[in-house]
Amino acid sequence: MEPKVLKNYIDGEWIESQSDELLNVRNPATNEVIAQVPMSTTDEVDEAVQAACVAYQDWRETTPFARARYMFRLKNFMEERFEELSQIIVQEHGKIIDEARGEVRRGIENIEVAAGVPSLMLGYNMEDVSQGIDEDCVYQPAGVFCCVAPFNFPNMVPLWFLPYAVACGNTYIVKPSEQCPMSQNMLFEILDEIDFPPGVVNLVNGDKRAVDALLEHPDMVGVSFVGSTPVGKYLYAKAAQHGKRAQVQAGAKNCLVVMPDSVLNQTIPSIMTSSFGTSGQRCLSGSLVVAVGEVYEPLKEKILEAASQIKVGYGLDETVQMGPVVSKKSLDRILGYIEKGLEEGATLSLDGRGVTVENYPDGNFLGPTIFSDVTPEMTIAQDEIFGPVLGIIPVDSFDEAMDVIHRSPFGNAASLFTTSGKWAREFKYRVQVGNIGINIGIAAPIASFPFSGMKDSFFGDLHGQGRDAIQFFTERKVVISRWF
Amino acid sequence: MDLATFGAILSYAMDLEQRAADFYAAGAKVLLEDLFGDLERGSKKRFARMERTRREGVAEMILEPITGLNGEDYRIALSADVDIPVLLEQAIALEETAQRFYQDAAEKIPIREVVRIFQRMAEENTKRKDRLETLALGD
Repeated sequence: MEPKVLKNYIDGEWIESQSDELLNVRNPATNEVIAQVPMSTTDEVDEAVQAACVAYQDWRETTPFARARYMFRLKNFMEERFEELSQIIVQEHGKIIDEARGEVRRGIENIEVAAGVPSLMLGYNMEDVSQGIDEDCVYQPAGVFCCVAPFNFPNMVPLWFLPYAVACGNTYIVKPSEQCPMSQNMLFEILDEIDFPPGVVNLVNGDKRAVDALLEHPDMVGVSFVGSTPVGKYLYAKAAQHGKRAQVQAGAKNCLVVMPDSVLNQTIPSIMTSSFGTSGQRCLSGSLVVAVGEVYEPLKEKILEAASQIKVGYGLDETVQMGPVVSKKSLDRILGYIEKGLEEGATLSLDGRGVTVENYPDGNFLGPTIFSDVTPEMTIAQDEIFGPVLGIIPVDSFDEAMDVIHRSPFGNAASLFTTSGKWAREFKYRVQVGNIGINIGIAAPIASFPFSGMKDSFFGDLHGQGRDAIQFFTERKVVISRWF
Repeated sequence: MDLATFGAILSYAMDLEQRAADFYAAGAKVLLEDLFGDLERGSKKRFARMERTRREGVAEMILEPITGLNGEDYRIALSADVDIPVLLEQAIALEETAQRFYQDAAEKIPIREVVRIFQRMAEENTKRKDRLETLALGD
């Protein structure tokens, strides 16, 4: 059977792209082609922006309560199709079904928060700022926004932005990852079903050309991006060049610092899920364990024991604990890093390269891989590997652990495992990362909080989710008035 | 079958409740219509609760591997095509097994809200078993 060719969703209609350039979407567990995605033309991007511009005129005048009701309906429809939405993530991305369910859940939570827009968009005022003069601040929508989404959370990441943008009265365009576009295709089936006015939400498949066209379009107000740092830097510069507001969440190299006083039996499961969950393809994955003092040897032993028991396989099998990586290309890149680690003298304590999965001989599988005796200068300690490869660095002190974190150009996340309130407080206070875990391996902010980030992990000032998103998607207009 | 993930445990629970609902439905057709019909409705409600928990209870930040829970330990053969005393014995054994499963699983899951739900499930199993035992003793 021919794989389905995905369509764009523009102005309330599913439209076949005119582009004859199609990319194959593959199931990472089998490498079978499960769909084809068009690389849309700049004209198609322009159509989407124009439709969003026209829709904006009426949508911004729709009451916040009416806009919130669309959010309630979106949530309810997603709950109804929850399992389908989760399964399609597994099929196109490879993560395990529990992780996919967690992803859809977080997406829904963002819709639930955005449904509070009648309260979240309230402005503020003050009487008598000067004699007989009053001042008001009102929040207004700003126009057309877009999202350039990554492959690793193909359902959730656009929902860090779209619900807030639309609930605030803006109109929106999603450009899904070309590697994993099917989740957004299904989400837009739901958006179509709940019957937004035409043009309020739009989907344009494509690659860099579509992104450039979105950023260069004179009617585009702003962009939200999640992806790698090199692409993020390009996109941030391009957005600035064309006068767009931008929030750019980029790469990471996250450290999990383990103190000698930590509770190892509870720390180990957190490290496992942080380092090997989603096959290490989260921007919050802990890719370095920094072991302080005498904890190094017992910690290493327990990590190796736990990691060697992780069951690798196809994510739709609920007994599986880790799926494949997204593509052959990714797998080759990760294998290259393993070679590099060996060349630079790290000890390969657990080698995941030989893993085989029964019935899935063609999948992009790699078992948990662990390097010990890693030093901060090594490439595997500096680069974002984005795969199930963990390095363990021994250090003598808490201060040295902080130095390891701060040597990195990234500032996405870091965690500390300890039973000491003093160390926890010190860590929270000093560490230069945006998302901090204390005895938590994946420091993932819930929908009411900003998904933070610093240094080369974030470019912009307002983050996705929560109040930051409301600020990003609105203008604050100040009115100073006096009546005679 | 190792129940080593959150989803595996919840799916197992759903399967358990579905089997219970089917068993009580078949039993209600034979004789014990009031009691078994009531237990069937309860099992369907519990199935929906487990499905909702699988959907809503997942928390990515503590999606940690689970060890020491095996589905084989809670397998139970059920057939409604038997005499009433045997039917009652099976029903009591089913409730005991389910109670043990939910109690054991509650100790393994690191999400407090889900633990509370599992504890509630186990408590309900005890009450259901009591109803069945009262009937068995009466006979």
